Amino acid sequence: MGYGRFLLKRGVQGVGVVWGVVTVVFLLRFITPGSPIDTVAPLDASQETRRQIARELGLNQPLYVQYLDYIWELLHGNMGYSYISSIPASVQVFQKLPATLELAVAASVVAIVLSIPLGVVSATRRHQPADYAATSFSLLGISTPNFWLGIMLVLMFAVELNVFPTSGRAYGFMQSLAAITGPRPFFTVVTAWVASLFLPAITLGTYFTALITRLVRSGMLDELSSGYVRATRAKGLPETLVRYKHVLRNTLVPVVTVLGLQLGTLIGGAVITEAVFAWPGLGSEIIRAINARDWPILQGSLIVIGTGFVLLNIVVDALYAYLDPRVVAE
Amino acid sequence: MKIGPLSISPRTIRNLRKEFRSSGLARIGVVLIALVVLAAVFAPLIAPHNPRTQNLDRAQLPPLGFTDTEQQTQTKIVDGSVQTVTRNVTVNATATYPLGTNALGQDMLSRVIYGARTSLLVGLLGTVLAALLGVTVGLTAGYYRGRIDDALMRTADVSLAFPSLVLAIALIGLFSRFQADVAYRVSDPLVTSGLAGWFRDMVGLPTPMPETFVIPTVVVLVVGFVNWVWFARIARGEALSIREEEYVKAARALGGSDVRIVFRHVLPNAITPILVLATIQVAAIILLESSLSFLGFSGTTLSWGFDIAQGRGYLSSSWWIATMPGIAIVLSVIGINLVGDWLRDALDPGIEGEGGM
Amino acid sequence: MSEPAPATARAGAADGHGAPEGNPDDVLRVRNLSTRFFTEEGQINAVESVDFTVRDGEVFGIVGESGSGKSVAALSLIDLVDSPGRITSGEVWYRDADLADEFRDDLPEAVDGDFVDTRRLPEGVRRALRGPAFSMVFQDPMSSLNPSITVGEQIAEAVEVQRRARANPRSTRSRTQEYGMGRLIVDTLLPNRGYTSESSMNRAIELLEQVGIPDPAERAHEYPHQFSGGMLQRAMIAQALAGEPDVLIADEPTTALDVTIQAQILNLLRDLQEEQDTSVVMITHDLGVIARMCNRVGVMYAGQVVERGTLADVFESPVHPYTEGLIGSIPDLDDPDPRLQPIGGNVPSLLDEEMGGRCFFADRCPKAMSDCLQDIPEYAADEGCDDHAVRCVLAEREYSEADALPADYFDRNKEVRGDE
Repeated sequence: MGYGRFLLKRGVQGVGVVWGVVTVVFLLRFITPGSPIDTVAPLDASQETRRQIARELGLNQPLYVQYLDYIWELLHGNMGYSYISSIPASVQVFQKLPATLELAVAASVVAIVLSIPLGVVSATRRHQPADYAATSFSLLGISTPNFWLGIMLVLMFAVELNVFPTSGRAYGFMQSLAAITGPRPFFTVVTAWVASLFLPAITLGTYFTALITRLVRSGMLDELSSGYVRATRAKGLPETLVRYKHVLRNTLVPVVTVLGLQLGTLIGGAVITEAVFAWPGLGSEIIRAINARDWPILQGSLIVIGTGFVLLNIVVDALYAYLDPRVVAE
Repeated sequence: MKIGPLSISPRTIRNLRKEFRSSGLARIGVVLIALVVLAAVFAPLIAPHNPRTQNLDRAQLPPLGFTDTEQQTQTKIVDGSVQTVTRNVTVNATATYPLGTNALGQDMLSRVIYGARTSLLVGLLGTVLAALLGVTVGLTAGYYRGRIDDALMRTADVSLAFPSLVLAIALIGLFSRFQADVAYRVSDPLVTSGLAGWFRDMVGLPTPMPETFVIPTVVVLVVGFVNWVWFARIARGEALSIREEEYVKAARALGGSDVRIVFRHVLPNAITPILVLATIQVAAIILLESSLSFLGFSGTTLSWGFDIAQGRGYLSSSWWIATMPGIAIVLSVIGINLVGDWLRDALDPGIEGEGGM
Repeated sequence: MSEPAPATARAGAADGHGAPEGNPDDVLRVRNLSTRFFTEEGQINAVESVDFTVRDGEVFGIVGESGSGKSVAALSLIDLVDSPGRITSGEVWYRDADLADEFRDDLPEAVDGDFVDTRRLPEGVRRALRGPAFSMVFQDPMSSLNPSITVGEQIAEAVEVQRRARANPRSTRSRTQEYGMGRLIVDTLLPNRGYTSESSMNRAIELLEQVGIPDPAERAHEYPHQFSGGMLQRAMIAQALAGEPDVLIADEPTTALDVTIQAQILNLLRDLQEEQDTSVVMITHDLGVIARMCNRVGVMYAGQVVERGTLADVFESPVHPYTEGLIGSIPDLDDPDPRLQPIGGNVPSLLDEEMGGRCFFADRCPKAMSDCLQDIPEYAADEGCDDHAVRCVLAEREYSEADALPADYFDRNKEVRGDE
């Protein structure tokens, strides 16, 4: 099986999963007791008004018609309208998405940049101080709830030292870019943007830094004990080449798989990090939607997150197959 | 339901012992877990105060070893005119409240001790639920393979596509409309039997303890439902390989029923990785529970996450309110992770990074 | 030659050290080599005071049961013993006139004539000897090649590292070309184009052809899992030959292969060895392989080389009862009543605390005498054959029934010591 066919197969499976996500999200509304009409209609609405609302929302149709309608509308980019603000859910969700993506990407960058060297040092200097420091850090990192870490960081850097803002998002990435030509001084904008992103990114990134450090360390120790390492040394390759070209590359294969599985944790972590830092992203939007019973927004958010998860996993699979050619062969 | 003979070979036990002896970390883990379990079980005996008793006169006391400066504003009549006088008052810690008190004057130590109950209950019950669901699904999928496997595993994929925290919040949001009461209140046997009262009288802590305790049922159901996937993946993988073993083939050839084969042959041989995963999952679920209570979805106020959320509002004046329960979470999760690492090293079940927060 | 070198004054030999005397054709002289593993269970003496020599262009066989320390001995030669193992003592004298000249002034104790003691060389130099001086073929080709890099690329690496070394001798930096995280990222994005050059790849293809792989240009771009076991072992041999080594160590090169393929691989090794005049150290548990391939042979037991000499010496007139037993355990097809004669008992655990100050084989030896309990015997030359040396009291005296230990001597002793 070629690389292209492998990806195609994964893509088809991904479409299936997205369809499953949409179905579950659609059904969520129906296992909810009480009718959306209660949310939308005024308390003293007459029967006529309620029927009117039901017609508008399509609730008088049989379930399968509503389901097909829902999918049809989705395919046209329509996720319904917020019960609260009447803004299209798609607009509201995609408005909030960049902030969350920015946070998730920043956290991933922090995690990858810190964790791989930490893991390598830890594995290659086993039972030395650097290893103990890295393993202690990573144990602490996977054991600390990130919302509490966020609060502690706020306490230390915002409340006590006053070097970073306690919450909020100063400017976005796009605004920072725009500032190059814009009226506001570029440096001020970028500083404010980075400063507001710093603590949330560390908060969200710590768990992953710790997790990947552990994975790289144990994976590398495993790889270092495998037969080809000895053979690679026997043919005279220098240790750096053995470590990086051979061992680390093979270590990254299982690490990448686990990361694919943990993407959900990243998004879940983003939700709660946003809550801690009042970060105006999808996470805050989900919590708001649940508290306000604004189902179309919740549904839209879940579909976007689920689809994003599936897409990213296809990327992860592609990377996996690229790193380990045996995957494609199977 | 009888789960065959649990196959723990002498070799396994030897490995466990060996790893335990050689690893100081495993010992630390066991001690930490023991502390949390003792705190959770004997909370009504050892908590110095009733965790729910409010006392505004004693609000925001700092923990032992710290002092706090508080601004007091008084309105006085000085020389016939009304003046507002602000002065700084130093508040000293007292040994009666070793970890300080929160904004309502509740004892932080007692709340941390009682919080262990919620965390442990949700962690254990949630894990059992997730394991029952996941192992059933996983064994079925792996044992029957083919279409059943495909269908079940695609369901698992869909379930994985929702981040567990988001799914949990969404489910709680939905459940909350079923019944206003998302938690189940049970009476505390240690208190109702009088044991706690007798013990406390004896050691000189005659405070009456809360007679009931809240089990956040919805949270248990939700975290169990959210985390089944990890168990399903592991159980399926094990079933897929075990079903090819000769003894399973032999049992099938002898005409054993599928259920019997699964419970007598497949499950006992798949149990090691499942147990290791379960250990790690308790930690993951404790973290998930604390996140949910932090966001206000817990159904009980005696929870570490809830207290952290409360303390967040007082960061600049009383840092300890948010800090203490967090330390409790970190220590208990570290304990479980250390034991999980120990089991993983000793049993080598081949799972890495399965299960998430 | 079997005796430790007499402390006569020789150029470069300081403090009575120096290469052991031997045949002028020697390329490798190993003296008193010991490798220990420091495990939680205790110290394991995997290789215990081993002496042997390897001559130019010969095949030297090391034979022993599994657990006799022969693989560790091989790894010790090439300095690839992993933690918790460590070479604790001994000298590995390797003949290389250029290297000897280079270190004659700085490290006089490591140089003796054309020989250098690799154990005394700096670690970087010792590493640099892997490839051009020593290289190794391993038992299981499947696990000895990196599964995620093409076979050709892996061989090309071995070629490339020697090219770079020749351009700038013994500089670790030039070999590495500062290969770090940055290169890894480049390599990951553009695989197979990071370290090796086009010409190294071409050389790799030549090597593949040389070891008899059909369509080498195409197969070079395949991954190890696309090769059969026999083909993979050929590729491993190509990789080991890439640095044009003086000494090729082959550790059970045919054990993991099908019987039909074993013969092909042995023939290939033999042909290549004759063609390139390389010395081969052949490590195996298979006496058939030894008989077929080797000029001289060393028999290992419990970490020691208990008997060594030419093939004829060892096979036709063995002195050590262990060697006799080994040879006795091969069924002779011409014998009308073939009977396998297994040696009773098991290979000892090699745990330091369980090894007594006696001949390690005494407890299994059919000819154990009271003398055997005195000391660990030193090498003794068999009379008449200069090259035939044995670590056994029988080399110097006859077996006598009178001194024989009672048959249950060691069983009784165990009970007294309360062993499990």
